[in-house]
Amino acid sequence: SEMSKDMLPGPYPRTPEERAAAAKKYNMRVEDYQPYPDDGLGYGDYPMLPNKSQYERDPWYQWDQPDMRHNWGEPMHWDFDMYIRNRVDTSPTVVPWHTMSKHFLLFLSIMLIMFGLGEIYPSYRPVGPKQYPFNDLYLERGGDPNKKPPAVIHYEI
Amino acid sequence: MAWAPPPSAAQLYRPNRFVSLPPELDPATYDTSPEKLRAEAERLAIRSRLKRQYLLQLNDPNAPAVIENPALIRWAYAKSQNVYPTFRPTPKTSFLGAVYGLGPLLFWIFVLKADR
Repeated sequence: SEMSKDMLPGPYPRTPEERAAAAKKYNMRVEDYQPYPDDGLGYGDYPMLPNKSQYERDPWYQWDQPDMRHNWGEPMHWDFDMYIRNRVDTSPTVVPWHTMSKHFLLFLSIMLIMFGLGEIYPSYRPVGPKQYPFNDLYLERGGDPNKKPPAVIHYEI
Repeated sequence: MAWAPPPSAAQLYRPNRFVSLPPELDPATYDTSPEKLRAEAERLAIRSRLKRQYLLQLNDPNAPAVIENPALIRWAYAKSQNVYPTFRPTPKTSFLGAVYGLGPLLFWIFVLKADR
């Protein structure tokens, strides 16, 4: 692009003058500008904006890009493509997150434990071996039709 | 004897990485100190200056076909070309590199070797 080198992102700002210049470059106030901590992970001087998705922005304000809820020239979050409205949504929930996760995990664990117990200790009505008619299906199982089949009696009188 | 104050609604909510605090519970939204007002005024000045630039380009009859957004260019540059110059091997980054790079490789080596 035709932007000069000082308008593009650079290394981590060390002096206050570099911070002020970086804040001006990104169109932010100097007090608002907070770069990512210098861990060597490759962020450079890119500002660390709050991790809020685009869902949280005012739907009724006239953004320059209404679908992205983003204004021209406004600094974009590092994970902007994650926080668009088709993807991750960090809007506040009606029920707090810890309550929701507690309820869900309790339910899931109780159900899994009960299913596990049911596998280890199955319970069903008393059953016996299945009784087949016609002398244990002698002809169907390939018995010789000329020979007399062995008598199979399933009852007791 | 004074008990601790009851937890505020914001503390009961406990926002985390996945949900943020609703503005109704955030005490900063109800703060109307002069510093905050001045900060908001400065932000509004920056926003309106940018919007003016954008609208001038948008409604310009001799306008270029594509209005390029410097914030977008900076974002793309920062994510793609600015990572290598600003990368520095530290204990944390080399550990992460080992885990993400060598971990799956060694895992699959062992899994496939054990399978055969």
